[in-house]
Parts: sequence; structure tokens; C-alpha cells
Amino acid sequence: MLSRIALSALMGATVLSAQTIPDRPEKIAVKPITFQVPKVKDARIKLKNGITAYLVPDPAGQPLVNLTLLIKGGSYLDPAGKEGASLLMGQLLRTGGTTKTPAEKLDEKVDFLAANLSSGMGETSANLNLNILGSKLNEGLGLLMEVLTEPTFQQDRLDLAKKNVRQQIERRNDDTTSIERYQQGLLVRGEKHYTNRFTTAASLEAITRDDLKALHARLLTPANLAVAVSGNFDRKAMEKLLNETLGSLKAGKDAKASPKVPAPEHTLQPGIYVCEKDVNQGRVTLSFPGLRQIDADWPAVTVMNHILGGGGFTSRMMKKIRSDEGLAYSVGSYFSPGPFYQGTFTDLFQTKVPTVAYGIRLALAEMERIKKEPVTEEELKVTKGAIIDGFPDTFGTKAVVAQVFLNMENTGLPETYYETLRDRINAVTIADVQRVAQKYLTPEKAAILVVGGKAADLEAGDKDHPGKLSEVAKLPVVKLPLRDPLTMKVVK
Amino acid sequence: MPIIGGRGIAAALIAAAPLLAQTVPVKEHTLSNGMRLLLVERHDKPTVATAWIVRAGSANERPGMTGVAHLFEHMMFKGSKTIGTTNIQRDLAINAEQDKIQAEIRKEESILRQKELNGEIADMRDAKARSPRHQQLVEQMEKLVKEQQELLVKDEFSKIYTQAGGTGLNAFTYQDATCYHQTVPANRLELWAWMESDRLYQPVFREFYKERDVVGEERRMRTDSTPTGKFEETFEAMVWMAHPYHWPVIGWPSDVSSLTREQANEFFATYYAPNNLTAVLVGDFKSSEAIALCERYFGRIPANPKGVPEIITLEPKQLAEKRMMAEAETTPSAQIVYKAVSAGHKDAPALDVLSSVLNGRSGRLQKSLVEGQKVATRVRASMQGMKYGGTFVFHGTASADQKPEAVEQAIYREIEKIQKEGITEQELQKAKNQAQADSFRRLEDNMGLTIQLAIADATTGYQAFLDEPQKTEAVTREDVQRVAKDYLVKETRSVAIYTRKGGAAPTDPELAALPAEAQGMVKAQLGRLEQVKDPAQLKAIVGQLEGQAGQVPAEAKPVIDYMIKKVRERIAKLEAK
Repeated sequence: MLSRIALSALMGATVLSAQTIPDRPEKIAVKPITFQVPKVKDARIKLKNGITAYLVPDPAGQPLVNLTLLIKGGSYLDPAGKEGASLLMGQLLRTGGTTKTPAEKLDEKVDFLAANLSSGMGETSANLNLNILGSKLNEGLGLLMEVLTEPTFQQDRLDLAKKNVRQQIERRNDDTTSIERYQQGLLVRGEKHYTNRFTTAASLEAITRDDLKALHARLLTPANLAVAVSGNFDRKAMEKLLNETLGSLKAGKDAKASPKVPAPEHTLQPGIYVCEKDVNQGRVTLSFPGLRQIDADWPAVTVMNHILGGGGFTSRMMKKIRSDEGLAYSVGSYFSPGPFYQGTFTDLFQTKVPTVAYGIRLALAEMERIKKEPVTEEELKVTKGAIIDGFPDTFGTKAVVAQVFLNMENTGLPETYYETLRDRINAVTIADVQRVAQKYLTPEKAAILVVGGKAADLEAGDKDHPGKLSEVAKLPVVKLPLRDPLTMKVVK
Repeated sequence: MPIIGGRGIAAALIAAAPLLAQTVPVKEHTLSNGMRLLLVERHDKPTVATAWIVRAGSANERPGMTGVAHLFEHMMFKGSKTIGTTNIQRDLAINAEQDKIQAEIRKEESILRQKELNGEIADMRDAKARSPRHQQLVEQMEKLVKEQQELLVKDEFSKIYTQAGGTGLNAFTYQDATCYHQTVPANRLELWAWMESDRLYQPVFREFYKERDVVGEERRMRTDSTPTGKFEETFEAMVWMAHPYHWPVIGWPSDVSSLTREQANEFFATYYAPNNLTAVLVGDFKSSEAIALCERYFGRIPANPKGVPEIITLEPKQLAEKRMMAEAETTPSAQIVYKAVSAGHKDAPALDVLSSVLNGRSGRLQKSLVEGQKVATRVRASMQGMKYGGTFVFHGTASADQKPEAVEQAIYREIEKIQKEGITEQELQKAKNQAQADSFRRLEDNMGLTIQLAIADATTGYQAFLDEPQKTEAVTREDVQRVAKDYLVKETRSVAIYTRKGGAAPTDPELAALPAEAQGMVKAQLGRLEQVKDPAQLKAIVGQLEGQAGQVPAEAKPVIDYMIKKVRERIAKLEAK
């Protein structure tokens, strides 16, 4: 706090003394500010049954409490032939009623309390979230415990949820965004990986209440749980309340700690893949293997990618493809962090069908350039400023801080990860950037995927932007058929 | 630790919630040139959420230049006389030369437009349709673009903020206004004042014509290439007959590709005056210092004494229901839009309560249409109040065995029930409880609050945002019944019915599961069987198939089994008649 008081005084002085406006923004005097990264160890406690809890009180905040319970486990545990079971289990926790409170009554109670109580399960974890006025917390937490420990998965609610999922899967080919998502996933991680074990009409049909009960019984142990609470509360009292509720939970007889999330065993096959769809814009992704967030090269890769395509308007890809050439609205690149296995590099943009080939050539040229030539001092400076000075906004609200801590728990990031990140970014040199560009940018191994347009039009290019799709890289052009949305089998 | 508007009571587990709802300590100030400031100090982290909003959006456009407000928003990131170029004299000269060439190109385009109208060419934008002179002009233009690019300090505006740790630099345009926002570190507030006042004081709209192409791609992404984008645009244009809400914010394609820098200049001169702006800051600063800073930087921009042109057109009263029947690649659904009231109207709070009673897991639509009648899988209602009018919207997705028209009728029945019987005390209290909790939730994020204050100030004045919880609290059951009667009436509604393009749902999954080479054959065989009307004959075919099933290789067995199943279904159907 001391530094801030000093800062305010200095700013006051600046305002009083300088009445003229500097001719350049660089000439504005800037006093350093200190920002203490929220520390995991200040927030972490162990409940009496071993559940880790992160408490981030906000005494000056709104009179609300936000609680997120993380359950390790997910669709990677779906039994074969029952793909979609975890997804439904996650939804039905909240919507399927409890032994004490039938679903209809629960809906009414939650809404009358003006609480947001929701649940959902994804590929590797489930979340149970409660946002409620602090004055109603005891009641809300009581309902959350019911939902967590004694859900009944009412048949009528299961039927309803299945109807909804069925409609969602029917829409898989309606939108190029959705087609791109599944085709890219298949190209990168292969048919067998759990991320590509799709819910089908048949698997959905096969799921029963007993399947959901079995999944629930398997997951419900303190070993699979962690919780984060933020908002306007007293820390000691919250610790007591959590111990009386979540802390009293015991492992059920069928419960098991969830196993490790499996890595894909697939090797990406380089190529130019075309999936046709009758629209006037092609969605382009260029993917190849990347690295993990916990790898030592991650900070250097972050800086390199910021310059290449991750830094919004300051990135080279955006400047070239959008700003100089007017070929796309959204352009960018990112390395996914893993976290459970090696991540993927993705470069993506969308452009009208005849300029797809031209756009890909520009993207590939930018990758080549950052490998061949050192980046400039200025690019490095801008990037470090963006990450280091922009750091406080990473922790926008107390709820975000609590969520960051919970994610670290789930993904296994070391607890000092964020505390040391700025120093590690600051240590990155121009040579480091070039080294990791050469090591991790491997477009010769890329799956270049284009979704949208007709293959012939993509190949033809246009008058103002000549060039054939088949000539953008020394890779085979492969036509990728759509999948039947209900079976996810190839449509002939 | 300073507590602003504090509610921190460390001793109790939970700070007692005030009886009514939130209070936001907004400090209001007007600069000498008429620019308004709204300031909220919050000192819990060293950042400031910033925004300024200009009361000009797509509703301030006119036919032929729709999309200019949005394209203009893009141009505001292209720099100024100081930011964005190494040679301002040459940069401006190139702009002037480009504009001249563009004027010549427009003459060529006007010939092509006529040719398109006469049916001589299909698309005036097709490069192949250009005359040799036109092509030459395009190439000259491209040369000037390249020359200008040599002088640019590329995207310097964004670069300066990015390096300074600014985050979320962006802007958005809607019908009523345009808002520019980002979060800056607390020690960069003066940089914000410098940069924002600079781009308002001496902007240069360089790279104008390339940015037009970028907007073309934005349109392809958001509207053209999505399953329902173009239909939604069409429907919106149908809802609003006379008011400028009629055209899309992104503009009609013909207009966007014809916009000129002169039009952008004119738009800027007319609307981007300080007396048409409000800036909002929420975060770690001292109000007295922020006011002095803004006076010094923004105060240099002269006011526009003429003020801005008013929007005169009022939407005429709708006389008859309108309908759109659309076939799209989407799940069958119905959308019903009633003309309702503007955001500042005295009936807006009651309509908000009405939407709350209809929505949510325990709301009437979910209970009746989704869980009870099972006619829909998802239904939502919302009150959408804008500055010059508003709508009350229903959107329902049909269950697989239901037609969207059935969802539509079921929605009407729910409306009639409320019109006849009103709502219950429990429903009213529930809606108020939710409004109260939401009145706190919406204050949690600094940028969220900043943008809400900016939008409120551009629409109704920010005080309306602060007063909202009290107004909701005052709504009665009778109010809700009355607004349902007054506004949800047949004559003022527009209805969009979506059916899936190509008719039937996707392929039968069992068929798709068969070996790919067999699928075509199976379909052809079943097609032929459709001609057979005699159940006895079909039964004989089943017999033959069953005989084959024992003999074919294992991988072909599912094919035969599938055929048998389908023939039996057909027999059952014929016998049922």
C-alpha cells in the first residue's frame, strides 16, 4: 500500500507542474507501480478430509459469494458405447433432483434464492458452481451439498437432457466453425483419443440412469475434489463452514481417485486438407505439435508467438494478413498449454474462398521469416511490456484469482508459476526467440485444414491474389469428407 | 486499505446485504467543451478500466452509406498526425491521391452497377468485369497503398498501448452508439488521456480502402458464413419498417464496398465532438486528478456548437403481423418479436419483470413448453430496450417431433394466460430477488461496470442504470399483467419460422453405420420397395432376405438385417392404414 500512496502523491505533482501536452506519448513521465501477484499459499487451506480449498476474500467487494467445486474426471472415463455419459452426468447433477428435493422443487428454490447454481462436466473435469448473496449462503451451500452427494438423476430430466444433446449433435455440420473443430481434432489427435470419442445417436440412446449413478459413485471422493471460494466473507468463518460441509464428505465405497488423463498416440499426418461446404469464406487452421506449459521453453515460446501471431494488432500475422492485405478480420496463432500432454500450435484465419491460398502463403512466409531473421529489439520490448506490465489484469477479479488457483491445482502447475513468470519472460533474449522459432515452428509437418468453399475455387485463387492451393506447400492435397453428425462416421 | 463505497464488515461471516440494492459512488463531471466524465474509484488493484462512448451508431447513417459508423470505428485505430507514420506530409498527400483515384474508380463502378442492373454482368465486384482503364486504376491504387505502407509505423496506436501493459484494447459499434475501451495499468492514465484525446483531436484515416476489405471479411465471418446470419439480418430489416434500426450495423454489402474516406470525414466531423461523448473510468485513480488530466487533454478539442442531428423518424405503429419462412441449416425454431418500448420508457421495468417470470429453469416457458407439453427443447424471452424503440422477443427451438409453428402457438397460450390471469405473488417476488442479486453481480468486474455506465449514459443517462433496482422493486403484479396486454399483441408482432434446409433431419444413424459401399445400394433398394403396396409381397421379400442372412459373409449381415428391419417397418405402416 505504501508504494501506492507515494505514487499518488507523485502523480499529483505531475499534474500540477506540467500544463503542456508532450508531443509524443513516450515523453509522459511514468512512475513504476508494484503489483504483488496473489500467492497460492496465502489462499490455500486443507479441509479436515484432505480437500484443498482456496479462499480469496474480498471484504470491499459486493455482498456475494462465488464458490467453484472442481471434480477431477471427465469424458475420458466414459465407458465404450456410452460416449456422452459424463456430459449428461455433469448436467444432471444440478438438473436431475436430489433424494431430499425433487428437481422441480430444487429449480424453484434455487431461483427464489436468486442463486446461480450450475454444474457441468467436460473432458477432464467437472465444475459445480454457486454464486449467491452472502446472506443466503448457508441455504445455497446446503443445496449444493445435496446436489453433490445425493443426486437422483430423475428419468424425466435425463430424457429431456438427451433430447437436447441429440439436437446439438444434429447441428455438427451446420456451421463451418463446428466442422473445423472436429476435423482439426481428428487430424491432430487421431480417431482413438478420448477427445475424438464422439457422442453419437447410438451412444446417447444407450445411456441409462444407472450409468450416471455409477459415474457419480466412482467420482465422489475427497481425492477428486478441490474448491475455490471468493467474495465478501470472513476467512475464518468460511473455513469453519466449509469443514462442516465439504470437509465432512467421505469417500463412497465405489469411489476411486481418477486416473491420469491419457495422451494421444496418434502421429499427425502432414497435408493440405480440404473440407467443402457451401459458404463464401474459408476457415483456415494450420496445426502441428507444440509443447507443454510446464516446459522450460514455454516463456520464450510465449514471447515468440506474441510477435508472430499471438499479440493481436502488434503481431506480424495480423499486420500482414489483415492490416496490409485486408484479407481477414480475425487472424492469430497460439500454442495450447497441454496441460496433460504435449500441446498443439495453431495458426488460424478466415478469408473469402478465392484468397485462401494466398493467405496461407503469407502465414507460412511469416513463420519462415521469424525462423530465419532475429526479431527486432523493439518487438521484444513491446512484447515484454505487454506481458509484464499487463500482468495485473490477468487477475481481473477475486473470482478470477480463485479460478486461476483452482486451475493450477487441476493442471499441476507449480505454485510459484505466476509469481516467477514475469522474471522468466523478462529473461528471454532475441536469440532465445529465434532458437524456439526454429525448434517449434515446423510447418513442413503441418496439417493445413481449410473448411468452406469448393475445392476447385480454393485451388483457382483470384485475379488480385493469384496462386494455387496445391502449391502453397510441398504437401499432398487431401479431400476430407464430412462426418455424419449422428454417427461421426465418414459420409461418402 | 481504503474502502470505497465499503461494505466490509470483517467480524461477521457475511456483510449484511442492504435492504434494497447496490449503490455505486459515481462522480459526474462535465468538461468546459461539454464532454462528460463518469468516475468510480476502486483501489484494490493497480489498474483502471477505461471507456469513452460516442452517441453515434448505425442509426445515425442513411441509405447508401450504411456501415459507415462501424467502418469508422475501425479507422479510429489507424493513428493520427503524430501516431502511425514516419512522414505525415507525404502520408496525407498519398491519402489525397488515393481519394482521387477512388473517385475515378467509382465512375467505373457506376457503369458496372448499371450493367449489373441490366443483367449484363452477374456481380459488379467481380475483378473479371473491370474495363482496362478500371484495372489500371486498381493497379495505381495498389501502388499508392504499397508506398503508404512504406511510411507507416504499422499499427503504432495498438503497439504503444500494448507495450504499456494495456489490455483488452477494442471497440464496438451498435445501433445507438460506438464505444472504445481498454484496461490500463494505474500509472498509465495519462497515456490513456494522451492517446484518446490525440485520436479525437487530429485523426488520420489512413489505410481506409484496405479496411473496407477487412469489414467485408468480418461480414463473411459473422453474417454470410453462419447458418442463420443472413436470415437474422433479413428478419431484423422486416421488423423495423421505417426506423434506421432497419439496416444491419455492419451495413449492406453494396454500401460498405462503396464507402469513401470523405464520408468517414463527414461522419467524424458531425458526431465525434466532445459534447457528444462520455468517458468512464473505474479503478485505481483519484477523481480530482483524473478530472484535471481530462480537462488538460480532452479540453483542447473544440465543441461542435451546432450539436448533432437528431434522429427524427419514429417507427410507425405496426398494423399487421409479419411472417418470414426461412429454410436454413439449423434446428427448426420460431422467433417472435413484438414491438415494445425504448430503454428509458416507464414500462420497461415491468417488461423486464415479465421476461424474468417467463425465463429460467423455474420460469413459465421451461415448465410449460419444455417440461410439460414437451413441444420445445429450449425457449427464452427477453426485453430489448434501445434508445429509440425496443422489442420483446421470444425464441423457441422445436422438439424433434414438433413443428416450429406448434412452439409458436404454445408461446401465445402462455402469453394469453398472463394477460387473463396475471402472475403470482411468488413469481413477482422471485423476479425481484433475482434483480436484486443481479444488481450486485453486474458491479463485480471493473470493465463490465465501465461499459454498462457508458452504454447507459449514451442511452438514457447513467442515472437510469443506478435507479434500475428501485424501479424493479416498485413493479406490481398489475403492472406486469397490463404490459403483457398492452404490448404482446398480434398486430405488432413479426414471426420468423425456421425449418431445416433440405427438409428431413440428418441421415438415419443405422444406415450411416453400414459399410459405406453398401449405403447407396441399400437406399436404392428401399426406394424401389416404396413402390410395392402389397404387404403380402413385402412379407415374401422379408422371407428371401432372412434366407440370405444365413449365407452372406459376416460383414454383410448388418446390411441384410437393416433391410429386413426397414421392410418390416413398411409392412407395419401399410397394415396400420
